[in-house]
Amino acid sequence: MIAFLSETYGNRELIWALALKELRVRYKRSILGFVWALLNPLLTMLVMTIVFGNLLRFSLPHYSIFLLSMLLPWTFFAQSLAYSVESIVGNGELLKKVRVSRLVFPVAALISNVINFLLSIVPLLLLIVVMRFPVHWTWIYLPIPMIGLFLFTLGAAFFFATVNVFYRDVSHIIQVILQVWFYVSPIIYSVDFVPQRYRWLFRLNPLLYVLNGFRLSIYYGLLPSLSSMSLSLGLGVVALGIGFSVFRRYEKSFVYYV
Amino acid sequence: MYSIEFQDVVQRFRRIRERPDTLREVFAKITRYKKKFQVFEAVRHVSFKVSKGEMVGLIGRNGSGKSTILKIVAGVYTPSQGEVTVRGSIAPLIELGAGFHHELTGRENIFINGLLLGLTKRQIKEREERIIEFAELGDFIDSPVKQYSSGMYMRLGFSVATEVDPDILIIDEILGVGDAGFQQKCFDRIQRFRNLGKTILFVSHSTENVRSLCDRALLVHRGELILDGPPDDVIARYEQILKIVQPVGK
Repeated sequence: MIAFLSETYGNRELIWALALKELRVRYKRSILGFVWALLNPLLTMLVMTIVFGNLLRFSLPHYSIFLLSMLLPWTFFAQSLAYSVESIVGNGELLKKVRVSRLVFPVAALISNVINFLLSIVPLLLLIVVMRFPVHWTWIYLPIPMIGLFLFTLGAAFFFATVNVFYRDVSHIIQVILQVWFYVSPIIYSVDFVPQRYRWLFRLNPLLYVLNGFRLSIYYGLLPSLSSMSLSLGLGVVALGIGFSVFRRYEKSFVYYV
Repeated sequence: MYSIEFQDVVQRFRRIRERPDTLREVFAKITRYKKKFQVFEAVRHVSFKVSKGEMVGLIGRNGSGKSTILKIVAGVYTPSQGEVTVRGSIAPLIELGAGFHHELTGRENIFINGLLLGLTKRQIKEREERIIEFAELGDFIDSPVKQYSSGMYMRLGFSVATEVDPDILIIDEILGVGDAGFQQKCFDRIQRFRNLGKTILFVSHSTENVRSLCDRALLVHRGELILDGPPDDVIARYEQILKIVQPVGK
């Protein structure tokens, strides 16, 4: 853990530059530029609200906010993973030219998505204001699931980026996994819709606690239980621990497979 | 105190051989997904020491292992066996333009390249003007690099790398770029490094350059260090080897 923090800190300028470069390149040549970071979730939310919101309108008032509260962190997770899986392989040429800290690439991929995520909160706020939805005091809790989310995502990023170097299928498999994971997580629907006997399955989803943290504070104005809070953070720490150790173990050989 | 020390260094690579002989084998390959691996020793038990301030030339045929040795010194590869000790900061000029992204402007790329080579943000800001001037790019510095000619690209890369001001400079066959005027500037800069007492490791196919610039030369052949000594002797031996033509990897 300490090795991770010190090496990341030592490379902070490079990581930041790479993250910004990632964003700049993503939106270059486009007229709207980074505004897409805001528009994307809004448009997705719009489509989903029309499709699913009309079915669930009765039990879930202000469906768009219900949806967005989990959709935004989910999008962060899914996009971060998609970008970081390829982060080592994609920078293969660089690894062969210069000595560089390997962890820089997945971390930069994550940071660029963190920025995207934070930007995407703006339309959520706008929506809340427009719909006269209350901003609950529980928003204060948000840093905790955010940190938990970032840690967990980073751990997953390290892990999959590593495996992808040796088995290139991983980047494709991830796409499929993310699709399934999306529908298995109560993002478009509420856990209440699931019959009791299947609820335990949902609790196996490590992202549940973090996502719930977001929805509870933003939509319901409630705080999650203490166990949920600790799981949010704990799972993140564990994921990072595992992910980073795997990464560390194989990072020296990346250059030969890339 | 030595700047660079190689002790019995071996560098192995996995070589994948995909060479189906018959159609049947092609089919069998797809169903079994089995590739044959061969271990290729690019560097074999190489030992040498470079003192601070020395300028050493590495010569040898294509594929002899010179670039691999440079990359080991630069820290790109960790040797399979043996010990490598490098004392001081390194700036590698191996395939210029590390980290360059074609969509970014020259200025933006200077930044990223500089960071990758170990400069801090502040240092890059301080040296930015000098870098741009040396590269002779003028207005183009603010255009995306994908619009550069290959010469411009190389000039930018060389300019950033030499502004890094390392203790050890590693140069891999890149001096053939640019017109005569720019080449002269490159040589002047290298000379300046020498005068400042920096160590330089230099790979070249131009025996003239090695003869005129280097204190010492190393001859690498098929992964082994065959000769280590004054440039004239080493070049003579190299020219002998050149007369015997044989494909690499046998």
